[in-house]
Amino acid sequence: MSARRNRATVAVVGVGMALTLAGCGEGSGGSAGGSGGGSGGGDDMPTIAFVPKLQGIPYFEAMNAGGEAACEELGCEWLYQGPVEADAAAQADIVRSFIQQDVDVLFVAPNDPDSMAPLLQEAADAGIAVGTTDTDAPNSVREVFVSQASTEGIGQTLTDQIMEAMGGQGRYAIVSCGETAENLNSWIEVQREYTASEYPDAEITEVVYAGEDQAAATQMATDLMNSDPTLTGLVGECTSSAPGVAQAVRDAGRIGQVSTVGLGTPNSIAPYLEDGSASSSVLWDVEALGYLTVWAGMQLAEGTEFEATNDVNPDLSAVEYDEATQTLLLGPPLVLTTENVGDFDY
Amino acid sequence: MSSSILTPAGRPDGEPAAVAPQDGGRQRLLPSPVTGQEMVLIVVIALLWLALSLATPAFFTSGSIVPLLVGMTPIALIGVGMTIVIITGGIDVSVGSIVMVCSVIVAQTMVGSGLPLPLAVLLAVAIGGVLGLVNGVLIAYGRVHAIIITFGTLNLFRFIGLQVFGSSTVEGIPRTLNFFGRGEAGRTLGIPHSFVIMLVIAALAWWYLRHTAGGRHFYAIGGDSQAARLAGISVRTRVLMAYVVTGLLAGLASCFVLAQGTSSLAANVGSGLELAVIAAVVIGGTSIIGGRGSVLGTVLGALLVQTVATGVTQLGWRSQLSDLFVGLFILIAVGADLIRQRTRRAS
Repeated sequence: MSARRNRATVAVVGVGMALTLAGCGEGSGGSAGGSGGGSGGGDDMPTIAFVPKLQGIPYFEAMNAGGEAACEELGCEWLYQGPVEADAAAQADIVRSFIQQDVDVLFVAPNDPDSMAPLLQEAADAGIAVGTTDTDAPNSVREVFVSQASTEGIGQTLTDQIMEAMGGQGRYAIVSCGETAENLNSWIEVQREYTASEYPDAEITEVVYAGEDQAAATQMATDLMNSDPTLTGLVGECTSSAPGVAQAVRDAGRIGQVSTVGLGTPNSIAPYLEDGSASSSVLWDVEALGYLTVWAGMQLAEGTEFEATNDVNPDLSAVEYDEATQTLLLGPPLVLTTENVGDFDY
Repeated sequence: MSSSILTPAGRPDGEPAAVAPQDGGRQRLLPSPVTGQEMVLIVVIALLWLALSLATPAFFTSGSIVPLLVGMTPIALIGVGMTIVIITGGIDVSVGSIVMVCSVIVAQTMVGSGLPLPLAVLLAVAIGGVLGLVNGVLIAYGRVHAIIITFGTLNLFRFIGLQVFGSSTVEGIPRTLNFFGRGEAGRTLGIPHSFVIMLVIAALAWWYLRHTAGGRHFYAIGGDSQAARLAGISVRTRVLMAYVVTGLLAGLASCFVLAQGTSSLAANVGSGLELAVIAAVVIGGTSIIGGRGSVLGTVLGALLVQTVATGVTQLGWRSQLSDLFVGLFILIAVGADLIRQRTRRAS
């Protein structure tokens, strides 16, 4: 009798444990596929490490390509490794390993800015110059934030684009991704304010969070369209939900009735721009962001102060630096349409 | 005692060999078509659908129900295999990684060579079957608990998948697989193909497990594998079969996952899917220690989870709430299972 009870209890506990383990496994599995590589080759080249939110999505791979090219040009060693999932704990492990490797400059695009702050402090204490890129950790010791576009720039351009597609009026919803992602939330804040002030006949009905899961984003967009037949617009707030909302509109056969815009990478959004299920995509030159990150890292490594306007390279000849927020700004957002989407390959 | 818990094949305690077939008496050999838990699920789902129909008029329309039914198919389909595995007293936490490997290989092949639909399905199912076979051989002959083996292969398969992805995404996946999608191409007379396929497979599995001697053997193994072996059941073959079937179904499910996705595929495909599948199985009333459970319950469990996700979005509630509800359902289902076991022992 009691043997059976024990068996049941142990089995249930065992399953629980394994599921917990499985969860960890997914999160930190990125180390297996990571580029790795030790630092300190013996020469004087500074080592610049970048930890993206997750590895293996085109967005961060394009940043990686830009960073790699910049390091080749400017003379540094580039290390790139991120978690397989957009998971704060798995990302923290990778940051720790870079601190252990004693890199010269460490850039992070934090999944959870608040939990990343103490780790950045740890890195700074170890003599590593720290910065954030793509996503900021404002309450941290980071010396610079490399911003892809201003919060206002992205939020307002997204709003202008969806409003243009919807004829300046109507109800639209937002399918966002990580619920704690600082940049997404601050863009949404701008979209709310800007829509309310500039487009009195328009309204944001709902904001839902799908994580980085395309299928979930598509399903949620479908559910949003169903629950509100008067909805005429959907915004996909990140690179996985932008094609997701367009796919939902295409599947529902409502191209022309429901417009979508979002932050989609050129390759992923091109098929949807083509059939009209997406009207436009708002992004920035991601490779240039990777380049600018490395350039900023070189300034940190050399101890050079940033100017108010920086001449980085011929393509980035006037990069603005805001002293008060210690932010380098890549420039105005890029609007992708059928016209120019073919010019980019990521 | 504890060692016998971790080895599915061994239970060297003093229980008489004849226990397995008689355990639970006649009821276990001729179970009623719908168990108590399944009845509860049917009622809960019916009430939820009713409540949602009243709350949002758009819920009970084909535009809403079809995506819901299509959305649940990958979980329900893999859940059929997982139910068999769990009935034998095992578990397979590698299914998400199997889906990842199958979907990336199929997607890349389709982009590269414009693979027609039947071949794409065949390829996915074949890869899934091979990966399931790896699990099955290791578990049937390794004498280590399935949870450890499949936790190992979860990471192993994921590594393979990441190598195939090669640190990038697959872009421009053709619409061949839309036959299984939620769009117009995925329906005939308004009925989604993927849902029908899932139903047919689930019904076959349900019938096989209930009405054939071979099917009952899975229950006997989960009840007491030692006794099952002494009763002449080929335990290894059955266990092997359970994991191969799960692999095959995960392969097919990866086509459904691709059909529901966008034209680009990222490396996080399938991640966490094993948890969703196990949740559906447990909510469906299958006992996590083996010996009892049904495919019908699993399909209902998957339907309930999908309904909750859809409902939360349609009602405009916070997205996190669906996690909370699924968590509560699992705890309630496991609790109900434990209570049932106690009352059975007491009677």
